[in-house]
Amino acid sequence: MPRDLGERSFALLLFLYPRAFRDRFGDEMLAFYRARRAEARHREGGRGTFRLWRHLVLDILISAPIERLRSLDSQREPMTTTAEMEVPWSSPFYLDREETMDALRQDLRFALRTLRARPAFTLIAVITLALGIGATTAIFSVVNAVLLRPMPWPHPERLVLVWGTRDQVKQNGVVFLDYIDWQAQSRSFDALAVMRGQSVNLTGGDQPERIIGSFVSANLFPILGATPEQGRFFTDQETVVATKQPVAVISDDCWRTRFGARPDMIGRTLVLNGVAFTVVGITRPDLHAPLGTPDVWMPIGYYPNAGDLELRGRPGVLVVGRLKPGVRVERAQSDLDAISGRLAQLYPATNTGIGANVQPLVDQIVGPVRTPILIVLGGVGIVLLIACANVANLQLARAAARRRELSLRTALGAARTRLVRQLLTESLLLSIIGGALGILIARWGVTVLATQLTSMVPVNGEIALDGSVLLFASAITLGAGLLFGSAPAWQYSRADVRDALSVRSDAGAPAGRRHSLRGVLVAAQLALSVVLLVSAGLLTRSLFALARVEPGFDPSHTMTLQFRLPAAKYKTEAQIAEMFTRTLEQMRGVPGVENAALVRATPLNGNGESYPYVLADKPVANLQAAPTAQLNVVSPGYFATMRIRRLAGRDFTMDDRAGGIPVAIVNEQLAKRSWPNESAIGKRIRLGGADAAWATIVGVVGTVKHFRLSEDPLDQAYVPYMQRPLIFTEAVVRATGDPTALASAVRGAIWRVDRDQPVWRVRTLDRVLDEARGGPKLTVWLMAAFAVLALVLAAIGVYGVMSYAVARRTQEVGIRMALGARRTQVLGMVLRDGMRTIGIALAAGLVIAAAATRLIASQLFGVSTMDPLTFTMVPILLGLVALAACYIPALRASRVDPIVALRSE
Amino acid sequence: MRRAADPRELLPLTPAVLHILLALADGRRNASEDDHVGRHGYAVAQEVEEMTEGQIRMGPGTLYGSIQRMLTSGLIEEVAKPRSATRGAGGGSDEDERRRYYRLTPLGSRVLELELARLARVVVIARAKHLLHGPEPA
Repeated sequence: MPRDLGERSFALLLFLYPRAFRDRFGDEMLAFYRARRAEARHREGGRGTFRLWRHLVLDILISAPIERLRSLDSQREPMTTTAEMEVPWSSPFYLDREETMDALRQDLRFALRTLRARPAFTLIAVITLALGIGATTAIFSVVNAVLLRPMPWPHPERLVLVWGTRDQVKQNGVVFLDYIDWQAQSRSFDALAVMRGQSVNLTGGDQPERIIGSFVSANLFPILGATPEQGRFFTDQETVVATKQPVAVISDDCWRTRFGARPDMIGRTLVLNGVAFTVVGITRPDLHAPLGTPDVWMPIGYYPNAGDLELRGRPGVLVVGRLKPGVRVERAQSDLDAISGRLAQLYPATNTGIGANVQPLVDQIVGPVRTPILIVLGGVGIVLLIACANVANLQLARAAARRRELSLRTALGAARTRLVRQLLTESLLLSIIGGALGILIARWGVTVLATQLTSMVPVNGEIALDGSVLLFASAITLGAGLLFGSAPAWQYSRADVRDALSVRSDAGAPAGRRHSLRGVLVAAQLALSVVLLVSAGLLTRSLFALARVEPGFDPSHTMTLQFRLPAAKYKTEAQIAEMFTRTLEQMRGVPGVENAALVRATPLNGNGESYPYVLADKPVANLQAAPTAQLNVVSPGYFATMRIRRLAGRDFTMDDRAGGIPVAIVNEQLAKRSWPNESAIGKRIRLGGADAAWATIVGVVGTVKHFRLSEDPLDQAYVPYMQRPLIFTEAVVRATGDPTALASAVRGAIWRVDRDQPVWRVRTLDRVLDEARGGPKLTVWLMAAFAVLALVLAAIGVYGVMSYAVARRTQEVGIRMALGARRTQVLGMVLRDGMRTIGIALAAGLVIAAAATRLIASQLFGVSTMDPLTFTMVPILLGLVALAACYIPALRASRVDPIVALRSE
Repeated sequence: MRRAADPRELLPLTPAVLHILLALADGRRNASEDDHVGRHGYAVAQEVEEMTEGQIRMGPGTLYGSIQRMLTSGLIEEVAKPRSATRGAGGGSDEDERRRYYRLTPLGSRVLELELARLARVVVIARAKHLLHGPEPA
């Protein structure tokens, strides 16, 4: 029967049970697992699976040791009827028979004593474990906060985000009028709510301010299961576009930080975008809105972008829905598909090719961060495994040294099971000490990660060491203890009692099973290190590749800031254009400003739109088939200020005004694609729908990375602001000196034109570019740190095994040297031995890495998953480190004095 | 199989054992005309979960650990596959092949009775001391 990963993991866990128990109940337990898993999937999906595993692991970790103890007991003393009656039943609490407890206490006391007697071993083992467990726990706290903790809404699995689609574009905004039809006709939803986030200008205070607003329909709050802390939320009537009322709800955070939590907030008036709103409610502090909690909510009717609420074909809003109980996403999708089809027939001009895309809200929120987080978790898991292998190796070395002691105890009549238990107790004690220290390390790690990653945690609250994380830490601590403890225990259980009676220790014995087990462990460590180093190498290379990307503009000495004119105040395009012209004049007049310009959206700032375009000399059959260009509205001087290359033609001038000949500038990419063999200058292009004007191309400029540094070159077009004024805009200023020194002067220049105009996001372009490059940085740094840790641990492992092997062969080396072998020959012999293991391990590691890097492919940029440089450098580096770790013991072997060696036991 | 001379020596039962006995006792009564009917492990766990309204949710380790000990002391025994499962076994799934079915032995019934009587006495004492509120048992 084919088994999936979960089933295989569960089967693996069953090995914790004694063999007899496993043979008898293993199949039944597997069937049990399958039934539970089916139940969990049916009920709750992914999170249910996590809960199921938490329960299973806890159950097994409690019951498996009990069964082990029981089977040991039954082996030691033949079972009598009365003894059987005393055997406790099922609960672990019935186990504390005095005898068992005494034995446990004894084991613990003895374990403590042996660990204290070898402080160096104990210290190394504990530190190794603490690093492994600590790092894993810290990363798991992120996994827990971002991927596992339930979303803060009732029945989050029924919440969906509905995108609009336009042909191939699957994540567009939704047309408001289409939304109204969806709401009326669909049968899959309890409710469909609309929201649109946009910053709003708050005036009336000391300084004009910009706060985050959200224009919504009344039913958004019940969908999120929200209740007001004070006052009320909107009524349905208030958010209907035709009968909108100037009422607002503010967030708890906004109430506290902006209004000092004043008690008389309800009923007060806020002037937002020039309109007086009455505050009717305050939300609870724990309310989280999908995609970010705003400062203030207003009825959707006040959404200022003209036309977005009245016209078909204008995708301007986002839709959140709650599915009816039992309705699946697929059904909701086909429901909306059917409605979209009807709308396309009714309104072919605007709705052809327009549809809906229903996505679980949870996926939309955590989707982008899932892969990087899981990659880092995988990386740290490898480190933990390597740490376990190291400790197992140390334990094996020690078990070898203690072989005589243990054999002697066996010969004197100690039950072998008791000795195995003793060894396991020691391992568990080590892992528990390591785990406790690891949790301390994790506490520190979590504080560091939490500050770095707040933006990654979308709505689920903080990254913290909570109950689940601590449970996880305990589980991996015990798991690690069993993992590295089972090696020496298993080995010992096969040891021969006669060893104790033989005079010779195993120093002269040929390399046996014990040695080979250690060899396998160290080979596994090296192979795992290869995987980690290759992954970290590829990620680092892709970070460098991103840093080398030319953005297409010169970010030095420049600063940008954003502002949005309130629509209520600037009603006509002429008013907007006039305001912009005066602002430009004022900014250019500021001392220290070399050049200044206005633009709809600077590159890499998160804003920007794309429109289909058609060419006058190359008509296309329908608009759907037309290519799209990213369109920017700019003022004269923009290209000079940004130092974007001008390749042909001219810049816009103040003569390109409304009523004049419409003009446009296109980028190299668009020009070459459209007219591969002729000049684009003088050609005519139409940007936007059929109602847009034909513009004459007057210039060609270089290509700019606009949305992401990793994007392929886009078709781009520019039009002058006086011919297409927008109320939202950015200013760019190039300074002769330090641009940050100009911030307040430039802000002042805008306020001289309009003293109520808020200005925000004042940043240098250098910083914007840094942030665009910095996205994956943390993933890369973490992976690199783990790779280095893995390298160090693996090197320690190689060193330990080689030292041990050399020590075992002291006598052999002595004989060889007595027979005339030279030092170099001995050195070579030992090194060859080590290199064989290392070579096999590296080869295996490369094969695994070649398969594993496919998992990180989505995170790579500008480097292939099979990047030859990485795949060559990693084995060379690791090989050198391993060789160095072999060299020291080999050197020691070559310096052996034959006489001493022959005498040694 | 070792049997207890006096079932009383097995008391008190752990919650897991008590509930498994209860679950199996139920199964036996429903199928009084068919002696071959028992329940398989997962069905027992589900029954317990339902009886206790989710208060006791047994993991596989706890469940089979208890079953092993109950088998050893003769409280329950394994039975041949019930007919309903054998009937469909022409193309029977591996799952059914693998499942084993358990039912109470007379000793198990007796132990359960004794334990319930013991618990009932505890309840009587608690009531007498006014420690327990709520309706009288029917």
